[in-house]
Amino acid sequence: MFDAGLHWPAKQQTVGLAFCLRSGVPEEMSRSDKASAVAIAADPARRPAADGVPYPPGDLAIWIFILAELLVFAIFFAAYAFARLSNTELFDHYQTTLDRDAALINTLALLTSSYFVIRGVVAAREGHNRHCARWIWGAVAMGGVFLLVKTAEYAHHLAAGVSLSTNQFYMFYLSLTFFHYLHVILGMLILAAVALKAGRGGYSAADHVGVETGASYWHMVDLVWLILFPLVYVMR
Amino acid sequence: MTMTPPSEPTRQLIRPCTLVYGVLLTLTAATWAIGRAGLGGLDLSLLVLGFALFKGHLIGDWFMGLRGVRGIWRWVVVIWLLIPGGLITFAFTLSYRG
Repeated sequence: MFDAGLHWPAKQQTVGLAFCLRSGVPEEMSRSDKASAVAIAADPARRPAADGVPYPPGDLAIWIFILAELLVFAIFFAAYAFARLSNTELFDHYQTTLDRDAALINTLALLTSSYFVIRGVVAAREGHNRHCARWIWGAVAMGGVFLLVKTAEYAHHLAAGVSLSTNQFYMFYLSLTFFHYLHVILGMLILAAVALKAGRGGYSAADHVGVETGASYWHMVDLVWLILFPLVYVMR
Repeated sequence: MTMTPPSEPTRQLIRPCTLVYGVLLTLTAATWAIGRAGLGGLDLSLLVLGFALFKGHLIGDWFMGLRGVRGIWRWVVVIWLLIPGGLITFAFTLSYRG
């Protein structure tokens, strides 16, 4: 949806041409008509949904990284669920000591930041660097809200004497959420770099792969939290 | 600074993403309300997990842009959601029936 594949112009052109061939663009079409058909086929927003580009938005390397990260989190989630099996009462009891209101604020902050990132990508796609920078800085600010609330939660638990060795539930809670916390920090650094470059006019309608790459990583951070929140704070 | 109005294809992207954002907020509020009320049990846990998996699917499709991708990349987030989703469902079911 975000001009995926712009960084592979040759492939994109092939996709467009292949679409024309499959959809039977008549040979007798004028050159401008054919060019228009290719342009439509090459633009995911204008192309029929049945077709598609071969690669997701952003740099392919970030997607390999995202897959590796998602795999690690999947193992963590499964480990939590199966560890809970052996001591359900303990997990259910200590879950009630967590601040669900703080978790709600954090979820809303991450969802809002993801929406801001989308708006930033769309602005970059239109070639509006300043608007892109503003949206992305907004997303970074929402990430800051997440960090503030989560830090306050950690401070509260540490003041109460909670640590990794307190019990199995806290071991999972602290390690899972802190691992995610570190990803939020990395995501904010990536988005800040994107926003700085956009502020200097570093992207254009034809070249905004960097924005899509940062956006993909940030959405992964959001995606992981969407599972973590109900699993650790709500499900019992 | 004068804001240039977005083009029609861009508007067509923003509208559904805004709608998706609204759905995500609503499901999040529902999840929080269930937790805040201290409700539990297998059915509610799986309902909350279902909300989370659906939200993840929306993020993948609309925010990560996988809706317009073909082949294995189109389904990469769905496949990922099914793996922990299936394992969590299995573990929670065991904890109630085991």
